[in-house]
Amino acid sequence: MTKHEIDCEKALQQIFQFIDHELGGDEREAMQRHLHTCKSCFSRAEFERRLKGKVGALRQEQDAPEVVRSRISRLLKTF
Amino acid sequence: MAISREAFGEKVLALVGSLHGVACRLTGNDTDAEDLVAESVARAWKALDSLESDAAFRAWIFRILHNTFVSERRRANARPQCDPIDGEDLDEAEPVFSIFEQMHQPFLLWFSNPEQEFLDRLLREDLERALATLPEHHRVVVILADLEEFNYREIADTLGVPLGTVRSRLARARGTLQKLLWEQAQARGLRGDAATAAAEGRAAGVPRAKSGKEA
Repeated sequence: MTKHEIDCEKALQQIFQFIDHELGGDEREAMQRHLHTCKSCFSRAEFERRLKGKVGALRQEQDAPEVVRSRISRLLKTF
Repeated sequence: MAISREAFGEKVLALVGSLHGVACRLTGNDTDAEDLVAESVARAWKALDSLESDAAFRAWIFRILHNTFVSERRRANARPQCDPIDGEDLDEAEPVFSIFEQMHQPFLLWFSNPEQEFLDRLLREDLERALATLPEHHRVVVILADLEEFNYREIADTLGVPLGTVRSRLARARGTLQKLLWEQAQARGLRGDAATAAAEGRAAGVPRAKSGKEA
């Protein structure tokens, strides 16, 4: 194993950082190389990425109710 | 940092939807969420000197929102919190629950994919219920990372914890979320048809192979 290769254990440790785009250049490339060759870790990454997407889809349209927006607007005028 | 009242107001109004959305998920109801946002904005204005840069505004005001929520809840409860916010993160020996590990059947990949079918069958209500059931210190990191798409640095700044804590807490929060989803599915007998098929396949003598393509 060369310096920039990782095994399944390391890949699973970094799986959330990978799907969150929090791995730096070398680590990200090493992870991508591992996923190209390991079907199990690739499937795990896809599963975690899909679940993250489903959780993210819970985000409502980020327009606050008018009553809230009005209240905050009134509050801001008092500063 | 010097910032005009107008600039402060514009930034707040641009984020008020996100602030209210997070406040709803923290408090669990619209009325308290509205009060929490208003109180947080008022505190933010008073604490404007603590804003270090324009770029830090989002994490800064969400931190004030979170701190306000925690302090208001403590006052309402009138006794110390029992939620083991930091102690929980120290328990690294406890394995993180994974639906994938529960369901993955590598020898069945050529005709079935149980864990992906599990996701296909997940309803919005399932996710909402599980998210609402998460302990608060887990819920907030999932909300910030997955709904609000904060990066780890912003989450660390928002919660006032080190980056390493964000990594470990988020991993544990996702594990807890998956465990809740798994338990909900089990309670409804809905682990996924493919899981059943997998079990039936083994009983019927479907040959095991190192990879699906070899089967």
